[in-house]
Amino acid sequence: MIDQKVALELKNINKSFTIYNERSDTLKGWMKNIFRLSTDKSKLKVLKNISLKIDKGEKLGVIGRNGSGKSTLIKIMSGAYLPDKGGKVVRNGSSMLMSLKVGMNHELTARENIYVNGSALGLRVKEIDNRFDEIIQFAELEEFVNTKTRFFSNGMAARLAFSVAVNAGADIMFLDEVFAVGDKKFKRKAIEVLEKSWLDGRTVVMVSHNMGNLKKYCDRVLYLKNGKIEFLGDPKRAIKMYNEDNS
Amino acid sequence: MTKIINWLYEGNRMERIWLLSQIEFKLRYYGNKLGLIWALLNPIAKISMFYVMFVHLMGVRMDNFVLYLFSGFVIWIFFTDVTNRSIIILKAKQSLYENTNMDKVEIYISLIVSCTIGLIFNLSIYIVLSMISGLFPTWHYIYFILIYINLTLLSLGIAMILSNLFLLFKDVSQLWNIATTVLFFLSPILFRGELVAEKLPIIIYLNPLAGIINNTRAILMEQQVLDWGMLGYNYAYALVLVFIGIYMLKVIAPKSSELV
Repeated sequence: MIDQKVALELKNINKSFTIYNERSDTLKGWMKNIFRLSTDKSKLKVLKNISLKIDKGEKLGVIGRNGSGKSTLIKIMSGAYLPDKGGKVVRNGSSMLMSLKVGMNHELTARENIYVNGSALGLRVKEIDNRFDEIIQFAELEEFVNTKTRFFSNGMAARLAFSVAVNAGADIMFLDEVFAVGDKKFKRKAIEVLEKSWLDGRTVVMVSHNMGNLKKYCDRVLYLKNGKIEFLGDPKRAIKMYNEDNS
Repeated sequence: MTKIINWLYEGNRMERIWLLSQIEFKLRYYGNKLGLIWALLNPIAKISMFYVMFVHLMGVRMDNFVLYLFSGFVIWIFFTDVTNRSIIILKAKQSLYENTNMDKVEIYISLIVSCTIGLIFNLSIYIVLSMISGLFPTWHYIYFILIYINLTLLSLGIAMILSNLFLLFKDVSQLWNIATTVLFFLSPILFRGELVAEKLPIIIYLNPLAGIINNTRAILMEQQVLDWGMLGYNYAYALVLVFIGIYMLKVIAPKSSELV
């Protein structure tokens, strides 16, 4: 039973990935693995013994070098990945993961993608109807409402996904480098959204390389080094440790 | 049952399933220039081909042979539509369930609903053709609801199994392609159900579609009641596959983000 003050609890989280040097996703490869005929593989341990609690309404930042396990950790927190045996993740409330890779169906138009993604994020069709113009204006894609997103640049698609999510929301928000979306103007708007809507009363876990944002918005910062918690606590101290290690 | 209804009405789930079904249907039929005409062309092309082959080349004489073929194809097209499109569904819809609290089962239900729109379309054409041929709908048609539920459970079970197997090995689509070719010739679509029952009775029990197609013809063409024994057997068959599918969905699908 989770303490009602706690939004998210991780107990003894380890995460390993098996790296196959030959193709394993065929029936032949699968059979070889089952009967242990293939030896051409190795284990990559990405996260090691992570345990922590995040209180409701708390803003937690996650920093670390590329490959330190930040995105894997946030995916385990959100439920997209499962931890290795023995680990446990308890979420108290609905959750939403936002990353630059948030998908669009490229066979659909911007309009259809707004409805599908909005609905997947829990919005009712009427709510989407009411906010449709707002969403498309925020994404600055007024001229491309009926264009299939396969003709969009990566930046345009990411802006559209971000704009839909602005109008959605969950008890726990996982933000994986989302403030790298778009140009300067769009980034400024994205920060405004964070301040006005996402930070308000919600629990937020934020992976970012923008130390200014982390200092400003986070109550605690987790410094992840080689898959282990190097430090968890005061944002300034965490950032100082990170900078010292990487200077 | 109450649990399922409560689950369906939780949040915006019903609305979302309907929205995803419409999008699926649109992607299937409006994604190309001929649009909905494809839905009509598919059975007509198959029926014409087999009609010419059987009636003109092989000299088969049978009353209402076109209706006979059509009734078999209505079932076959629904079954292959659901199962073929399900194979990559966990990969194709990954972004929808990975980032939100959306249940993966919704994706399968929307696929079924979208294919049901196609089934209704084909069935309507069948009824029109049937009336043109002098066979008017009877109260026996009401039994089609039972057949539809049976067919849906069967297709859903296989869809869940195939899509989860795809996460483990990607050549499942090639294997299913071979399996459906074999299944087509083991199903009484082109030939009479009684013929299979006489020559190879085990096929009726091994092939879950055989009983469904025979029962469909019994009510649509022959104004007979259902073969209840066969219907019960087919329901049990479909439910076993659904349980296997649910088990795989619980064990394999949670790792889908890592496996696709």
